[in-house]
Amino acid sequence: MSAPQSAGERELAELIVTALNLEGVAPAEIDPEAALFKTGLGLDSIDALELALEISKRYGFQLRSDDENNLRIFRSLRSLAAHIERHRTS
Amino acid sequence: MLTRPIAWRDGREIGWDEFVRDAAAVVRALPVGSAMIDLCEDRYRFLAAYAAALSLGHGALLPPTRAEEVIREIEAAHAGSYRCDDQLVEAALETSRAAAAVELQIPAEQIATIGFTSGSTGRPQSYPKDWRSVSGSTARNARAIRSALGVADDAVVWLLATVPPQHTYGMEFSVLLPLIAGMAVHAARPLFPADIARALEQLQTPRVLVSTPVHLRALVESPQQFPPVGLIVSATAPLDRELAQAVETKLGGPLLEIFGSTETCAFASRRTARDELWRLHEGVQLESITDGTLVDAAWNRQRILLQDHLELHGAHEFRVHGRNADLIEVAGKRASLADLTRRVLAIDGVRDAVVFQPGEESVATIRRVATLVVAPGLTAAEIHDRLAASVDPAFLPRPLLLVDALPRNELGKLPRAALLAALVNLNFQG
Repeated sequence: MSAPQSAGERELAELIVTALNLEGVAPAEIDPEAALFKTGLGLDSIDALELALEISKRYGFQLRSDDENNLRIFRSLRSLAAHIERHRTS
Repeated sequence: MLTRPIAWRDGREIGWDEFVRDAAAVVRALPVGSAMIDLCEDRYRFLAAYAAALSLGHGALLPPTRAEEVIREIEAAHAGSYRCDDQLVEAALETSRAAAAVELQIPAEQIATIGFTSGSTGRPQSYPKDWRSVSGSTARNARAIRSALGVADDAVVWLLATVPPQHTYGMEFSVLLPLIAGMAVHAARPLFPADIARALEQLQTPRVLVSTPVHLRALVESPQQFPPVGLIVSATAPLDRELAQAVETKLGGPLLEIFGSTETCAFASRRTARDELWRLHEGVQLESITDGTLVDAAWNRQRILLQDHLELHGAHEFRVHGRNADLIEVAGKRASLADLTRRVLAIDGVRDAVVFQPGEESVATIRRVATLVVAPGLTAAEIHDRLAASVDPAFLPRPLLLVDALPRNELGKLPRAALLAALVNLNFQG
């Protein structure tokens, strides 16, 4: 049984599914602690680019891949949602 | 006298003298062999490793993806191949202060690169190119860039590339240009618009952004502001005029779209925001035949058949009438639908399968392949995971749908309309 999503995680899950056209994936069913890239949802760098664009539009800040914490930020829905919560301007 | 710069790395310029010493240090760290699989992600390490290989008479094998199974297939097919990665090169560079320089007088007939495409059977076919060939095409690419920038033939030009060095386009425009055409390259491969802006700011002018429609579309749509760029180079997928114009407005320089293939290297370019016709590099002639187009470049030993239909306009220009539908390219990586289908069929428990492109080839959108699979006893997730071992993530099918049977017609073929109908029906059910 996957861990429950917070409100912020649910909103991000919905953005991910819509932005990346993940047919057949229900936002509510994304495990907030499962991997987003490679395994898990199986996203790749093109998805990351698309996601970064949507995040900049929705939350008003730019993702960088040269952040020291990059691997950690993109590890899961939970870590990405937490990163957004710290940096959002809108 | 200062030597010319070849790279920007860790906040400083690296000159040619230091580079050839670094390459010599890599030579001492390499295993015995005869062809390098250069897996370095850092572009400077890739360059140092490649120069080391060339100085030993070795060419570079360019796997179409980093997937472990694919690299193992290439190793199995090429006796004497060895891997070189970031760790090996970084350890070697720490010892380079004491190294002598490598000698980079490469014989014209030495194999320089071995690229791969999928033959008609879907099995990867190798395309070796000798030093004469890559030097000839690189000289023309350099001329096209310097002429678009309006700088002298020996001017240092700074490159920033969003594509990996391991594929034909990245090799030509981010490795060979610095190595033999007097240009210099940023060691990073930035992904997000904010990273690209920061990396550009670190470079002197004139600076050139080497990229692809997928990356450029993200730049245009991003709120990020960029320092002015002297020239943008795009390849790997068609770019439409509107996007080209938007890129030019946002980045402040002309956009040069490059036409080429793994088989031929780049051989033509156009200013997409303004021109429809492609202009052949100097020394290239085309001949249309039934199967496609023969490309005759002065620097190649023989004419090369491309399965693209190109319509000539005069002696130096052409229009494209359809590219080989089997090849798909995303962000500088390429794959073949036949090869992807073969890999799905190779999974235990799969009885029938087809991988195809559901959308019309739309410009600069992210093209995902779809697949229909007949595999009683397997789940879609199991097939996906098996496939991930041998297929680059960019080409993993989305959606991957299980069906009872493929919509084959009486000839056993799969009409496109039937595939699309199956996809729509299944998506409605799901």
